[in-house]
Amino acid sequence: MSECIVVTSGKGGVGKTTTTANLGVALAQQGNTVVVVDADIGLRNLDVILGLENRIVYDLVHVIEGECRLKQALIKDKRLDGLSLLPAAQTRDKNAVTPAQMRDLIARIKEVADYVLVDCPAGIEQGFKNAVAGADKAIIVTTPEVSAIRDADRIIGMVEAAELPEPQLIINRFRARMVASGDMMNKEDILEILAIPLLGVVPDHEDIIVSANRGVPVAFDEDSLVGEAYRRIGRRLGGEPDVPMLDLSVQDGFWTTLKRWIGMAPAQGVAR
Amino acid sequence: MKDLFSRFFGGRKAHGGQSKDEAKQRLKFLLIHDQVDLTPAQLETMKGEILEVIARYVEIDVDTTEFKLERAEECIALVSSVPVRRVVERPPVLRSAEGSPQPA
Repeated sequence: MSECIVVTSGKGGVGKTTTTANLGVALAQQGNTVVVVDADIGLRNLDVILGLENRIVYDLVHVIEGECRLKQALIKDKRLDGLSLLPAAQTRDKNAVTPAQMRDLIARIKEVADYVLVDCPAGIEQGFKNAVAGADKAIIVTTPEVSAIRDADRIIGMVEAAELPEPQLIINRFRARMVASGDMMNKEDILEILAIPLLGVVPDHEDIIVSANRGVPVAFDEDSLVGEAYRRIGRRLGGEPDVPMLDLSVQDGFWTTLKRWIGMAPAQGVAR
Repeated sequence: MKDLFSRFFGGRKAHGGQSKDEAKQRLKFLLIHDQVDLTPAQLETMKGEILEVIARYVEIDVDTTEFKLERAEECIALVSSVPVRRVVERPPVLRSAEGSPQPA
């Protein structure tokens, strides 16, 4: 039974595209057939994050308008069996597609994939409506900031209005050290406000920038902590809900220990 | 001296305490107002009007009255604490003759 999951956030720039790409990789690594769909028509980016931008011939709008077959538009990732991308059109706008057309398209993709991950555009208008149209469930991505959480709350309401089941939350750009010093909301603070189940926490790390530079999602990197965070989320999505959360507690160095000892740093705090 | 020390060790900035608590408070306030779609000014007007009605029946302490929107479980609740000094002596029946709402 295949499943379509939309990755959404409301606010732009919180890491939807990076999340979609990495969860696509993580699910395919488990042996699933995965199609990641860029629903951000006019502002496509998922191709770049995946490093597949040079191989685009056809896009989502071509498939919908019948100019090519679905199979012709799907770009297979040569690094990983089972992962393909359906890119968005870059020269059209969101109104080129209707929710009904998206629903049909997703149904067709589900015939050839175990998982369809849809990268939703920012905002709450047509692009959002298209992206959720064919989805079975939603993942909300947020960062520990007031503006991102406010928008996430709004989007949770819209996901419910679209009659999807209760969405799951990914907290992105988590900084354990700031949480430990009380300058960033922790997991519990955010969950108390948004009141939806937590799917995972992804630490903020330079690896993300490097992987975006190279077009190689960080989930490919066996040694990366961020990569591990995504792989675990992928396993939770893929039918192992009890995979433990990553330990993001602060590992203190010599200077922090010294500062704490002379009372210049906050007492030991563990970011759970 | 402590300043110099602080700088040397790259200690915490002097913004005094936990900014995350501020973030959380602001967020809670924002979300409630997003949902209720009531501006703080409208809330203030509503408070005034409700207190006016209460004041017809009991003498209240307006200065210590609390009036706020809170998020409770699945809904937004209007929570107020209105300290009562004493019951107003005039019978409420009289008030209704003037067009005020009838007491339940």
